[in-house]
Amino acid sequence: MASFAGAFASSHGPLLVREWDSIPQDEKLRLEKAFRELGRRVTAARPDVLVAVSPDHWANFSLDNYPAVCIGVGETSEGPPEPWMKAYPHRQIAAHPDLAFHLLNESLKEGFEPSMSHRLKLDHGTCIPLWRMELAKMPAIVPMLVNSIEPPMPSLARCLAWGKLLRKAIESYPGDLRVGILATGGLSHSIGEKTMGAIHADFDRETIRLFGASEPELVRYLEKQLPSRGNGSEEVRNWLVAHGAAGGRGFELVDYLPVPTVIVGCGFASWR
Amino acid sequence: MRDYSLSKMFFDLQQPALAAEFKANRDSVLARYSLSPEVRTAIRENNVPFLAERTNAYLLRYYFFATGMKDAEFIRRIRGG
Repeated sequence: MASFAGAFASSHGPLLVREWDSIPQDEKLRLEKAFRELGRRVTAARPDVLVAVSPDHWANFSLDNYPAVCIGVGETSEGPPEPWMKAYPHRQIAAHPDLAFHLLNESLKEGFEPSMSHRLKLDHGTCIPLWRMELAKMPAIVPMLVNSIEPPMPSLARCLAWGKLLRKAIESYPGDLRVGILATGGLSHSIGEKTMGAIHADFDRETIRLFGASEPELVRYLEKQLPSRGNGSEEVRNWLVAHGAAGGRGFELVDYLPVPTVIVGCGFASWR
Repeated sequence: MRDYSLSKMFFDLQQPALAAEFKANRDSVLARYSLSPEVRTAIRENNVPFLAERTNAYLLRYYFFATGMKDAEFIRRIRGG
């Protein structure tokens, strides 16, 4: 049977590529160190597959059809379509259809109803952390896109439940695989809004603290705070998926730093 | 509120070929979408607050980034400056 290799989370943001050279040196060194440390932890966990839990920044879905959750079941995914991600070295990213279909089927059995795609584009949300972590060996990537971009979005409680379901489904997969979860996005940032550029470090630090508290307390806090903490903060849903998969135990913070140059409160974590 | 046609056009303009066509001949691309006269005017005038009320914030930001507006100018405009 497959085993759960661990859960990890990383912020992302276009300016982590486009403005990389403009980031003040001390912050850039911390970011590099955090990405590499997260990569070291992922490597140490020896995942054959990572379920990459990320939003779709309009790379795949439009208002024609924007699913709450979509699982990629294809043989491969396409690399990031954004022109400024051209230097990303992987244009075709190997997936694991058999595991992906197992996750899909187990989800449906449990009353969860994700959509599926046989060909997804993995945008900067997934690819920036994979890139910056500098993994020596890229695991297969099963994409799980969770809507945190276009309201209405899945509830926070549902995202936690998704994580628990993923864990159960991974551990019931009849194959000798180690499967980890990489959640991407958050913490606070605001994109395309009047508040664009705002980082709420107080909110970010309290959110980080509450990941070590009870789930109801964490969810209550986020439900109250998210509407006023910038639209990018909604991506914390993906962290909740990872949290649920890790059994709700608190994570070890690799680093947190607000980086005004990239307009993101940048957080990096691995679950215990 | 979401203006479907406006949002669809912003979504489509992520394709480099269409973005290049838009840059060369904006009216030709605009003509393919069922946009109200008010929305067409707002696009021509870079009326960020007007468009912000009608589409997703990420799509809005992509559009203005792709058409060359610097973030500082985008922020100034969206705040009504």
